[in-house]
Amino acid sequence: MLPWIYGFHWNAGHIIFLGAFYTVLAAVATTLIVAARRSRRALVEHRAEDIGWHSDFHDLPPQDRVCRHVLTGEFQSRECANAFDCRHCETHAKLIALRPVPEAQAAEEEILGMTFPLDRFYHRGHTWARVEPDGTVTVGLDDLGERLLGVPDAVELPPPGTRVSVNGTAFRVRKRDASVRVLSPVDGEVVETGTPGGGWYLRVKPAGHGEMDFRHLLRGAEVWPWLMREMERLQIALSAEAGAAATLADGGVPVKDIAAAYPEANWDAVCGEMFLEP
Amino acid sequence: MDKDFITRGVRRCSPNRFFLWMAPWVAMLGFGLYSAGLCLVKGLNQTNMDNRFAFGLWIFLDLTVIALGAGAFFTGFLVYILKLHELKAVINSAVVIGLVCYSGAVCVLMVDVGQPLRAWFTFWYPNVHSMLTEVTFCISCYLAVLAIEYLPIVLKNRKLRQVPSFLVFEFELHKLVYVLAGVGTFLSFFHQGSLGGLYGVLRGRPFAFREGLALWPSTFFLFIISAAAVGPSFILLTTWMVEKITRKRLVRPEVLELLGRISGLMLAVYVLAKSVDTLIWINRTSPGVGFPAWQYYSWNPFGTWILFSEIVIFGLAPALILLMPALRRRRGWLVSAAAMACLGVALNRFVMTVQTLALPTLSFDKFLWYTPSWQETGTFLAVVAYGVLVYSFSFRYFRLFPDERMLQTEVKTEEVEEPLEMARRY
Repeated sequence: MLPWIYGFHWNAGHIIFLGAFYTVLAAVATTLIVAARRSRRALVEHRAEDIGWHSDFHDLPPQDRVCRHVLTGEFQSRECANAFDCRHCETHAKLIALRPVPEAQAAEEEILGMTFPLDRFYHRGHTWARVEPDGTVTVGLDDLGERLLGVPDAVELPPPGTRVSVNGTAFRVRKRDASVRVLSPVDGEVVETGTPGGGWYLRVKPAGHGEMDFRHLLRGAEVWPWLMREMERLQIALSAEAGAAATLADGGVPVKDIAAAYPEANWDAVCGEMFLEP
Repeated sequence: MDKDFITRGVRRCSPNRFFLWMAPWVAMLGFGLYSAGLCLVKGLNQTNMDNRFAFGLWIFLDLTVIALGAGAFFTGFLVYILKLHELKAVINSAVVIGLVCYSGAVCVLMVDVGQPLRAWFTFWYPNVHSMLTEVTFCISCYLAVLAIEYLPIVLKNRKLRQVPSFLVFEFELHKLVYVLAGVGTFLSFFHQGSLGGLYGVLRGRPFAFREGLALWPSTFFLFIISAAAVGPSFILLTTWMVEKITRKRLVRPEVLELLGRISGLMLAVYVLAKSVDTLIWINRTSPGVGFPAWQYYSWNPFGTWILFSEIVIFGLAPALILLMPALRRRRGWLVSAAAMACLGVALNRFVMTVQTLALPTLSFDKFLWYTPSWQETGTFLAVVAYGVLVYSFSFRYFRLFPDERMLQTEVKTEEVEEPLEMARRY
């Protein structure tokens, strides 16, 4: 509707119609422009990884987004509002101040035949982070993660010098039909890469002034309840994909290479579930 | 290659099977495009419409699919404006249905109007006195809004989101989707109304002519309410059909029941308003222009059964079924009522177009018969095929039902509860 066309008059009806029409056009165009500008800014600021994780987290089923304090029984139900980054969570800070996580009694936790050394921190995406004497942090897959991927068909490690960020991609692993990104537990710069057989994958130099914040990671007595929940999730994922859930039914323990035990299963779906990549 | 584009964890048929499913629809689309091409190249002499019978199959199709596609705006309004988060389970599917319906309607309108090379005239040289100008503008704008709403669904595809700029743009656009939902609601509200508003100026057709409030005839409001009523029903119906065809659980039963309840409520309001409108029309509007209403129903086959069917069988009955929790919980009743509601709106649009033109109004007029030509039918079928193709493609490669994966897991979970208890004890 244009003012210069034949038959157009500046009357109230036309003005209202034109006003509404151009307002709609302006709203749609502004929405697109704002989205495009924000996207450009995010790309320039290298926030694509962070956005990717937030998008993934949003797509996780509600039972997979539960707060760590639900796992330990402090809450009946609570959904994490910070995409598993407890460094920005006031509730977590208050709870930890009130009731610090008890130190583990043993040097390692033995859960369903899997070993979880307690000298390190665990990320809910099945990685661990251990502070080394030289101030660097070693990153590896936890025992359950190792068993899920067995001997990987391929690993894509970031070259030294790459910056990794918490909940961003640390490295990618391919196993059979599965191709998953493994989440980084820490912020920093990769200084060295390992191998799947070597027990660790990355060595990271902390970002900033060398002080690393581990508040978002699980440790000590938190590991056992988390692992129990993870075993439940694994069993559900396996039963959905493989149609068999006998893994734990008779009191057995996960085998070293779970993928090999389920040759028919859609391993991509199982790994996506367990490594939090929906 | 194909597998890389399919959402992780959901099951889809093999590419060969998918091709077999698509092939007949592609053939139907090809036939339809040929028919439409004939109409565009040779002109409207390919149709059985003429100056006297200018509302045919295509206008009936347009009005019907636009009403059925209203589920997109109404569900968007419920999810993003009224924060009815349960319906997030079907919002993507609703957007695809809306896009298919509106784009199909626009394509058929282009064939109907003819002169496609001058299609832009309607925007550059609009007839400021025509109500259809408002409809054209609103539908075009809303189609653009639907296309923008469809964009995040496409960009969220597993393979496409590996491109950082797609991932980021999808994320940022999704954060602003409530603006689009608001704009879509505004546009839909007005163009559904404007389609009905046409009958306020159709004085030469007393069967359809309606009076109302100020500028707006009663049909302005009836078209809005009926579209909002059947939109959720059509989403319910398509979801159920997709579940049956693919043999998968896609949404929780409560979501379908909620859609049914909303549809039932709106349908009840519509039936009430339609009944009042019919009574006013019978007792005042029609006699006022010299036509006792019974005259219209003396022409076979359009007897009073059609009015009864429209209001009672396909209006009141589904409304009551959808409003009764006990019946709503039973899938057969729920789906049947939704189908009846959709048929009801189709019947209403048929009455307002084809029946309206078939009835004689002048003393020398005769009752007119109209049967669509094969070219018209082909074009109609092209829209159906196009809809099935776009929806099938979207269902295969995009995440139309976010709960699908979770429901797939839940089905199996019931079988493993006991072992989990054992694991806990261990």
